[in-house]
Amino acid sequence: MIMPEAGELLAPVAAIEGFRLGCLVDASTGMVLASVQSQDAAATPTAAAGAADLVHMLTLLNGKLATGEILEDVMITFSDSFFMVRPVERDTEPRILLLVMADRHRTNLAMAHRSIRDLCAGFPA
Amino acid sequence: MSQISRRARVRQLADSVWPGRTVNGYANLIAARLRKLADEGSTGMLPVSGHGDGAVFFRDGQVVYAESSRTSPPVARARDLAALGLVPGEAPGSAGADGTDAAGTVATRSVSRLGGMLELTELIIDALTELLSSESRYAKFRHAEVIPAGQGRPLAVETLLAEVQRRHEVLRQLAPVVTPDTTVTCESSLGLPSAQVSPAQWALLIRADDGTTPRGLAMQLGRSVFGTTIEVYWLVELGLLAVPGRPPALAGDQAAVMSFIRAVPGGKGSDA
Repeated sequence: MIMPEAGELLAPVAAIEGFRLGCLVDASTGMVLASVQSQDAAATPTAAAGAADLVHMLTLLNGKLATGEILEDVMITFSDSFFMVRPVERDTEPRILLLVMADRHRTNLAMAHRSIRDLCAGFPA
Repeated sequence: MSQISRRARVRQLADSVWPGRTVNGYANLIAARLRKLADEGSTGMLPVSGHGDGAVFFRDGQVVYAESSRTSPPVARARDLAALGLVPGEAPGSAGADGTDAAGTVATRSVSRLGGMLELTELIIDALTELLSSESRYAKFRHAEVIPAGQGRPLAVETLLAEVQRRHEVLRQLAPVVTPDTTVTCESSLGLPSAQVSPAQWALLIRADDGTTPRGLAMQLGRSVFGTTIEVYWLVELGLLAVPGRPPALAGDQAAVMSFIRAVPGGKGSDA
């Protein structure tokens, strides 16, 4: 873990019912800053890299659309899990991403979304 | 009769003698040295030379600082952090005894420190990525060498080596389009598309004149060379920067698109 002190920030998302994996990722480089996971979690580096790739592609899309909008979050539903990515700062230039993976059969998506949103809202604009 | 350089000849000989450790494997030798220093719990400085000079500083077997003449110096960023009271080594929320009461308070303080520490850590890892390039070699370790004031949070050698390996793989993916030393120019054609860029990308665009390289831009802005190379790559993809001499047919070639997933070493694993 590159920045263990960042792990403390992930405590609220680790409390989400069905939580599998949470990590903070440097969007610009794809580097994992900190992570927490349950025993059955997917490989953290791969999941983090996927989150960074997703945001890069969406940023490229947003850049080409040039509508002046900013990315708020990404919610993906797999057959067995939710994959949620949110920039921790509402900015045109997301620097740090929060990735949360959760068990689809145990997680209330709306509640999880709210937890993630509240956590990110705690970060300074 | 074929004419080969002395360097190529040395490379061939090394390849034949050490199948698993080619001349390009100097980085492997440095990595082995770093692991040994970590195992010994060393404190001091390992000078590294090659394309550019630099050094890796250890404290109790962990890397606390690294700098290279070919990347932005972390020390200036560290001084900025110190001036703001974001001194490395403090735990999140330790600035005040009451800082842990509300989650929001902790998060606010932590991310301020987190963002600052991320910038410092990024520059240290950036220097290490450069120092562990194929042409680098190390000199004698100097025990108890004074550690610069801009030292960062102690980082485990294995974690750093894994990150450096990942970065080298990303740079290999980017190489067909742009490297840290590729000259890029501002795309000034009349058919320029409208596009939305971030402040960081805008800072690059307004400085991208003839003869600019990602490394030059990074040094100018005090940013990571690795991160800037990726930003430049995306600006090329957006059609806002161009690589002189790059065939236009490649401009829309999505087969070579950069992917962090493909740069993850191995497969299933964890860095936790």
